[in-house]
Amino acid sequence: MSPLALVVLAPLAAAAGIPVLRRAPAMLALLGAGAGLIASLVLLAGASAGLHAALILPGLPDMPLRLVGTPLTALLSTLVAVVGALVLIYAVGYMKQDDEKVRFFATMSFFIAAMQTLVLAGDWILLLAAWELIGLSSYLLIGFWYRRPDVASAATRAFLYTRTADLGLYAAVFLLIATTGSSEIAVTLHSGAGASVAVGLLLLAAAMGKSAQTPLHDWLQRAMAGPTPVSALLHSATLVAAGAILLIRTAPLLPPDALLAIGIVGGITTVVTGLIALAERDLKRLLAASTSSQYGLMLVAVGAGVPKAALLLLIAHAAIKSSLFLGAGVFQHSRHSTRLADLHGAGRDRPWIFAGFTLAALALAGIPPLSGFFAKDAVIAASLASSNARLLAPLALAGTLLTGAYMARALRILWQGKRRDQPVAGLRWMGAGLAGLVILAIGLGAAFPFIETLLATPVPEPALARLLGLSAALGGLALGWFIPGRRLLGPLLPWARQGFAIAGGVDVWIVRPALTLARGCERLERGLYAGVMAVGRLGLGLGRAVRRSDDQGIDGLIFSLVRGTVNLGNRARTLQSGLIHRELAISVVATALIFAVLFVTLLAF
Amino acid sequence: MSPDLLTALIVGAGLFGIGLYGALSQTNLVMIMMGVELILAGALVNLVAFWRFLHPESYAGQMFVLIVMTVMAVEMAVGFGVAIARFRARGSVEMEEARELKG
Repeated sequence: MSPLALVVLAPLAAAAGIPVLRRAPAMLALLGAGAGLIASLVLLAGASAGLHAALILPGLPDMPLRLVGTPLTALLSTLVAVVGALVLIYAVGYMKQDDEKVRFFATMSFFIAAMQTLVLAGDWILLLAAWELIGLSSYLLIGFWYRRPDVASAATRAFLYTRTADLGLYAAVFLLIATTGSSEIAVTLHSGAGASVAVGLLLLAAAMGKSAQTPLHDWLQRAMAGPTPVSALLHSATLVAAGAILLIRTAPLLPPDALLAIGIVGGITTVVTGLIALAERDLKRLLAASTSSQYGLMLVAVGAGVPKAALLLLIAHAAIKSSLFLGAGVFQHSRHSTRLADLHGAGRDRPWIFAGFTLAALALAGIPPLSGFFAKDAVIAASLASSNARLLAPLALAGTLLTGAYMARALRILWQGKRRDQPVAGLRWMGAGLAGLVILAIGLGAAFPFIETLLATPVPEPALARLLGLSAALGGLALGWFIPGRRLLGPLLPWARQGFAIAGGVDVWIVRPALTLARGCERLERGLYAGVMAVGRLGLGLGRAVRRSDDQGIDGLIFSLVRGTVNLGNRARTLQSGLIHRELAISVVATALIFAVLFVTLLAF
Repeated sequence: MSPDLLTALIVGAGLFGIGLYGALSQTNLVMIMMGVELILAGALVNLVAFWRFLHPESYAGQMFVLIVMTVMAVEMAVGFGVAIARFRARGSVEMEEARELKG
């Protein structure tokens, strides 16, 4: 079997097999993820050797479904497979005491399979299908603990936010297919015609929904209601990454105006969500806000016209953010909470986990020689080199500064405080998954030159960018470590705590009108209902009247006839005395009477 | 002297009157049935007299009398059967005590 198919089919087989066998779900999921990982490594090796694998499957008429193994897709697929496998290893420990392992691991495997399909998709139709599938599986996973309060509503909110933005992707894809006449992504990209600004903006809308960009960043923080491995996977390599991956893949197509819009949206997001992260009171929500912020930086890089810089940050961020989440999951288990107030000193309980968390946090802030440094560097260099450097570079630098500040804040809270050691079940598995990802977070920087040669596009690296980036990162770290986030934000604090709800935010502009509409519909429905009930009551009354006339009219007549007959019979019965003499006498007298009458009539006529 | 129609009718009426008196005055079932026999005998005498003196050429009257006699015999057999059954069950054939014939 071709490795291309195996990459998708191995996790899919695990997803199908787990609910059927219902035994050892974790091992089956790991088996599927491992097979997928090996296949994707084979694919990557093939792609770096110049081999372009492709698989054409029967699909719509004249629009076959394609899986392609270009260097970019193979690289992304490897990323998904590696992070997926390590997160699954971690999840074996994390879910040790959960009762619904079968459902969890089946959905996780399905999620990985869907994401692999999305990454490897060679045509728009398969991409759309995979796009929907990751939306579905993330809905299922965020709502995994659906019995807890607010979880179902968080899952629904995530689903609706991303679904709404998905409409942009549908419109963009239909426009692209209509203008180029082909559903193949490669053909569309190289058609040379370029795309209209409208297509670019529609794609941006789709990416904004999935990658939780301002003003659609709210759902991502609420999505923290799911299990921690889900958050780790969601934020690093799958759902949220899909938006950035879409833009990275379509970047050659986009006109400058659309690129500028992308860069500005990304820049605003990275600052806004960075401020939210500084004000956040929950560790997982802080990490979620930071995810939005990092994807904002990637959008800045795409907007600056250097999608490869965004790709580097995407890869580094995948390893870093998943290790941060996995560390947070351990702290969550040891304190049974993710609120920062409860986590004071949690780092001291588990110094090894804290060391991993710290390394990942420093990597995210962009401290050399960790992987984040190289990626941040590339992004800042791209923003400086772009034609809109005045707009994009300050936003990118502010984002970097804020990254350092909120990561230092999280580290300080985790380190300062008293030890309260509590045993954590399954720590060995969790530690193994975390260690793998932290090693990637540290060492991925060494692989970047290889990636750059693989994609055949060197990333500009002026010394100025390096200097600016490093000083912003160090400055941010220092600010975050020494000054509490509350004081740092000053007057912005209450606003940031509400998630920068602009004039009431989504609630006022979308939720309230929708609710009002729903209430109007409800009233209309109540009216209709009352009408229907009135008609029903009328029918009932009519029926009752008919029944009454039946009972008292026709039946009454018949029964009174019956009663009369019975009464007559009873009266006749009293004549029968049983005394033979009396009856004989009666019959004699009656006969005599008859004769008398006959005689008289004979005489008379 | 050969009997004439009037004499025969007087004998029949006498028989009928004696029978009627017996049927009404007696309380014993056997006696009542004897009264009934006499009533029927009176009716038969009338029938024979009407045939003999008014239509001696037709045999229909004769046949009618024979049939009525057969019916009388059958009726008696049934009546005595009832009387015997009642006597065995109750030890008496007094009709004043037989009120359960009431419907």
